[in-house]
Amino acid sequence: MKGFTHFISGIAVASFFPQAVHMASQEQSFILCLGGIFGILPDTLDFKFAKYFHKSDFEIRPDPDDLDANVIANDVVKAINKAKETGRGTVQLHTMQLASNRWRSYTLGFDSKSSEVCVEIGPIVDTGQIPFEGTELKDPKRSVARVKVDDCEFYQQFDKKSQIAIMTGPCFEFVKRENGKIEIVFLPWHRTWSHSFTLGLLISFIVGIISFLTVGDGPNPELYTIPRWMLYPLIILFGSMVHIIEDSTGFMGNNLFYPFTKDRTNGLGLMSAAEAIPNFLFVWTSIICILFNLDRFRWAPDEVAAGISSQLAFWGWFYLLPLAVMAYYFFKGKREKAIKAVKTVDFDSQSGAEQETDVSVI
Amino acid sequence: MSELLNYLLNPGHLDLIYFSVIGVLFSCFISFLPALHIYNVIGIFLLVVLKFEAAMAPMQLISLCIGMIVGYSILNTVPATYFGPGDESLSYYILPGADWLAKGRGFESVILTGVGALGGIILLAILAPAFVWFLPGLKSITAPHMFWIIGAVIAYCLLSEWPKGLSQSENCWTNFFEGWKYLGVGLITFLLSGILGFIVMAKTMVPIEFAFQSITPVFVGLFAIPWLITNIINIGSIPPQHEPESMELDWDLVRRGTFGGFLGGFFAAFIPIVTAGVGGLMAGHATAQRDGRLFVMSYGTCKTVYYVGSFLLFFIPGLSLTRGGLAWIVTPVVTSLTVKEYFLFVAIMIISAGFSFLLLIPFTRACIKLVKRVPYHWISVLALIIVVPAVYSFTGWGGMAIMTVATGLGLFPVLFQARRMNLMGVLLLPVCLNMAGYGNDILRFLGLL
Repeated sequence: MKGFTHFISGIAVASFFPQAVHMASQEQSFILCLGGIFGILPDTLDFKFAKYFHKSDFEIRPDPDDLDANVIANDVVKAINKAKETGRGTVQLHTMQLASNRWRSYTLGFDSKSSEVCVEIGPIVDTGQIPFEGTELKDPKRSVARVKVDDCEFYQQFDKKSQIAIMTGPCFEFVKRENGKIEIVFLPWHRTWSHSFTLGLLISFIVGIISFLTVGDGPNPELYTIPRWMLYPLIILFGSMVHIIEDSTGFMGNNLFYPFTKDRTNGLGLMSAAEAIPNFLFVWTSIICILFNLDRFRWAPDEVAAGISSQLAFWGWFYLLPLAVMAYYFFKGKREKAIKAVKTVDFDSQSGAEQETDVSVI
Repeated sequence: MSELLNYLLNPGHLDLIYFSVIGVLFSCFISFLPALHIYNVIGIFLLVVLKFEAAMAPMQLISLCIGMIVGYSILNTVPATYFGPGDESLSYYILPGADWLAKGRGFESVILTGVGALGGIILLAILAPAFVWFLPGLKSITAPHMFWIIGAVIAYCLLSEWPKGLSQSENCWTNFFEGWKYLGVGLITFLLSGILGFIVMAKTMVPIEFAFQSITPVFVGLFAIPWLITNIINIGSIPPQHEPESMELDWDLVRRGTFGGFLGGFFAAFIPIVTAGVGGLMAGHATAQRDGRLFVMSYGTCKTVYYVGSFLLFFIPGLSLTRGGLAWIVTPVVTSLTVKEYFLFVAIMIISAGFSFLLLIPFTRACIKLVKRVPYHWISVLALIIVVPAVYSFTGWGGMAIMTVATGLGLFPVLFQARRMNLMGVLLLPVCLNMAGYGNDILRFLGLL
């Protein structure tokens, strides 16, 4: 899901605590923002920290002056062979920057049927990935390579080619499964420890201790069932949990109980993380929940008139109607895609990642 | 209803159309002025116009303002595309716009934003009756929470900037610092801009008689001069521009672009201090925009809905919501707000938008001719020669000092390829903390109190 979806969902979750809404309106507290910040935190940890400290077994730095697809493919095969021998092997593919706005592109794919690693050197592209005509390699022996991996069967969630062109290249992990198949894991550092219930619980526990020692009762404690100190860890916990739940609706899952579980699970595959309507559905639901909660938990409800005069009209006009419109366009889009047999958004490719203004959709 | 139609169709109101057309034409001129924020220019213009107040009815003045703001919001894309952005709301668009320009597709880019803008005006008009119904409720729900909503906007803007860089070193720390260099610059830019905002708001160096222009040197320094300097230093020239016979547009693109842009523009119009750039970014992420054409069109809708919508909010009966500089400027001349005046506003808005859209193509062609004849960097030099003395004449040496500091800050994101939006910290941070009641503590900490 998009970072914004996680962010606003975190705020929406926080708004379900009446005391938090009262603290915001009466004490100028930013506590509701805490839900948003921790809602986006798992991706922040991955893309701003974890990404840099992941070490790969093999790093591929193609030489733009001596390009050969066979060299790249053979290096990838080395990582697969390591996985066959030791259980795991990782490879980091780097991009080739030729000038400030010039990159040599290439693609990497895995053919499950023939157990081949397929590499194709592409044209020179600009940073917007627009190719320059006539810049393809002329020698077909060096521009295309298909290297067979002996005694190996691939298993991959996303059967698509990855384009390596601009900025940072992708990383793949190859994992030997119990059935002997080699699983191809895209971005092995993503959605692991940062996207686990365990980390959410740990952070909440630490924050809980600090808030227990430092946060007082606040005004009117008799109005609330949850003590004020407990709000902070709960908002943090639920904020990060909603991120994990939302991500689980996509194709790439999470490592829910790291370090007790080793691998990322598969997602439910209900929607692609980069699809517009599912993202907006979560965003709109969050906005409606926030407005509803801010109104029903307004301070002194007997003295201050409600902003929502009719709940039926509110939910009908502002939620059910947009929901129906979204459903119409969502299923219409699905039907059209099925008819055209167009591939869905190539969200696992590097091209998608680098063009995306919000990398957290990956 | 018939009374309303009589009012709208009364030939006696043709003068309002005349004034709105004058406003649109004037907006062509305004949008050419580099760097000066629309509200500042309109402020100066109205100082002159108000001398004729006796000869102008309030609704005529309002029509003039509607024409100016609608025209500006639609036409300013043209000079922004060919000569650089004037304000923050434009700087959000300018990178994709510059990209299209570099590919010779500046014309397409302008027309797409124009279509988006027109879509935004149509949506505003369609929703105008509904605004009367639901906006008072929305205002009463959100009013006590504005400070943290702005706080959330700040948090998201900072958190949603992702690292750049190649990460090709074998040393992970080198890669880490390479990526974080951009993020660090963004954070520092935001913080320093925020401090500048506190200083300017607490102890401005602008002479008191020009207090209404106190933010002008800040915006000129943060957004305009860095862009002009970049244009002057860059050796590159604008490639030949292609004018297509037809545009590739489909309803799906128009629907998605207009919808996303409307959300961003409306959010920016409704929430104080949030601009079209910030609103557009958030709406773009909320609706998962990826297509370049979608972004450009959505931007057109966003900035129009932001500029026009914030002015429209002022006229909604029973709402009493003053957003944007123009609403504050007309406050003294508007005595009462009725449903009639509100719908008259909407009617003039539609007429102004139609006229502005008709002007868009000839205006773009004129700009293309200009950039063909005059070297690009000379236009920037000329703009710089105009803008610096203009700031001096309105704000004196104090304003020049503020502008110089702001220019230094404005160059930060340009040089380090960070988000220029972080410069909006100049307003977002002080306003958010002031609304939350922490402003005086910060001022004391900074030694300004």
